[in-house]
Amino acid sequence: MDLHKFLQQAGLDPIKVALSSVGQLYKMPEQDLLDFKCSLVFESFKFHYNNNDFYRVSCDKKGITPDILSSSKDLIKIPLIPIELFKANDSYKLLSKSLNTIELEMRSTGTSGIPSVSRRCDETVDNAIFGIYGMYREFLKISKGAGLYLCPSTEEIPEMGMIKALNLLAGLLDTHKFMVKNETFSPEESLEQLENWDNKFDRHIIGPPFLINRFIRFLKATNTKVKLDKSSLVITLGGWKRFSGEMLSRNEFNQECMEYLGVKEGQIRDIYALVESNVVAIDDENGVKHVSPYIHFSVRDPKNLDKEVPEGEIGQLAILDPLSCSTPGFILTEDLVRLLPKTEEDKRNGQRMQYIMRLPESKEFGCCAVNLDKRLDVLEEENQHASACPVVA
Amino acid sequence: MYNDIIIDNFTNPQKVGDIALANCEFEIGNPVCGDRIKIQLMVENNTISEARFRAWGCATSIATANLFCESIEGKTTSDINQKNDQDIESMLGQLEPSQHHCVHILKELHQQLVVQANAGAQ
Repeated sequence: MDLHKFLQQAGLDPIKVALSSVGQLYKMPEQDLLDFKCSLVFESFKFHYNNNDFYRVSCDKKGITPDILSSSKDLIKIPLIPIELFKANDSYKLLSKSLNTIELEMRSTGTSGIPSVSRRCDETVDNAIFGIYGMYREFLKISKGAGLYLCPSTEEIPEMGMIKALNLLAGLLDTHKFMVKNETFSPEESLEQLENWDNKFDRHIIGPPFLINRFIRFLKATNTKVKLDKSSLVITLGGWKRFSGEMLSRNEFNQECMEYLGVKEGQIRDIYALVESNVVAIDDENGVKHVSPYIHFSVRDPKNLDKEVPEGEIGQLAILDPLSCSTPGFILTEDLVRLLPKTEEDKRNGQRMQYIMRLPESKEFGCCAVNLDKRLDVLEEENQHASACPVVA
Repeated sequence: MYNDIIIDNFTNPQKVGDIALANCEFEIGNPVCGDRIKIQLMVENNTISEARFRAWGCATSIATANLFCESIEGKTTSDINQKNDQDIESMLGQLEPSQHHCVHILKELHQQLVVQANAGAQ
C-alpha cells in the first residue's frame, strides 16, 4: 500500500500524520518506513524545485528533476545545500517562500562568530515544534519535575536554536531555572537550587555539555557528590569540542555524571540537532541515538560526496528533511557521523547514528555554547586576577 | 512580520559587496552571538561616492546594512551628521519588538561613520 497516497486521499497531511506517529513509525518494517520517508522527501523536493529559483537552477544543472525520483535508491541524487550557505550574505536565495511568510529566525554561532541563520515559515515552525515534542516524548518521557538549566534563558538570547529547543522541555516540567545569567554562572547557586528541589521534584539537569561539565568540575573540586532522583535525566545538546579545541570525552562525561550527580548511564541523554534542520536524534536508554523517523540521514564519503559509505563507517552527514517548507531541507553538514546497525535489544526500526566530530577541515566548530564557555573562562580569569595578592591596581 | 522596506532590502540588496580600494571601513557587531556588519566606503572630497556592505545575521539587520549604504551614497558626512534619532528610526519603518535591535544597529552605523570620517579628516 502506498501510505503517502492513502493519507492524501483521506484528506490528511502525511507530514502531520508522521509527526504525531513517532512510536508507530519506529515499529514499521524497515522497508515500509523507508518507502514512506522517501515519499515525504520526494514531495518536499518537488515543492522546493517548483518554488525556489536558486535551488531549481542548481538541480537543473545536475539534471535532477522531480520526475526522475522514484525509489529510495534515488535519495542520493537530491542536490544538497552546503551548510555555509545559511551564513552567506545572500541567504535570501535559500527561501522557497516569501520573506513575508517567515515567522521565526533562529541562529547558531560557532567559533567564527558568524551566525548561521535559519528561517522558518508558520508551517515549518508547526512541523519543528510537533517534531521536537514528539521525539522528546518518545525518548525522554518527561511530563513533570524540575529543570536545572545550565545555560542562559531564551529571554537573554531569544534566537539561539539550542536554547529554544531545550526551552521547549520547560513546558513539560513543573518548574525550572536558568543558571547562566548575564554571562555568569554560579555553581554554588546551582547546587543550592538542586538541594531546594530535593524530595519535591524529579530533578533534571539540562544544558550544553561544556556547562554541565563546568558544574561537575566544581563538584569535583569541592568533593561534593549529589544524588539525583531515580527518574532524573541529564540532558545535553550542543557541541563536545571546547573553544580551545579540547574534545570532551563522552565516556568521561558519563563517568563523572554517574560519580558526581548520582545517576545511572541510562539517565544521561545527549541530543544531536542542527539549527538549519528540524531533526533531533536522541539517545535511548542504551545511549544509542535515533534519528527522527521521518527524516533521512545519508552518510557520504567526504572525498566523493556522490557516494554513501557503508553502514558503520564514518562519513559526512547529509540530511534530507521534508519538514522544512521555507528553505530546502536537503543539507550537507560539516559533521562526521556513522550509522549504526540495529541490535537485538533495540525495539525501534529506523536509523541510528553516532556523532564523531566536526570535519577536520571545517573552518569552525561549536554552537553558541562554545562562545559562552569561552566568555565564562575569561570572566573567571579576570575575577581571579582581581582578587590576586599582592598586586595593587 | 516584515515590512516592505525590510523585504525589499533583504531580498534585493543593491549594495552588498566589497570596494577594492576603499578608503574608509568599519565593522560593528556582537562578538558572542549577534549580528555583524562590515561597511566599506569610498570617500572623495568629503562625499561618500560609494558604499558597500557585508552582513551576517537576521534578515532585518542585513536589510538595515543595505538601507544604510543606499542612504549615504552621494551624501557628505555633515549631511549624515545632521540626521537625528527620529530620522534614523523612521528609515526602517514599523518594526516588531524582536527586530527593534536593528534601530540601534542603524544608529551605531551612523555614529561609526561620523567617528571614522572625523578620524580621517584629522
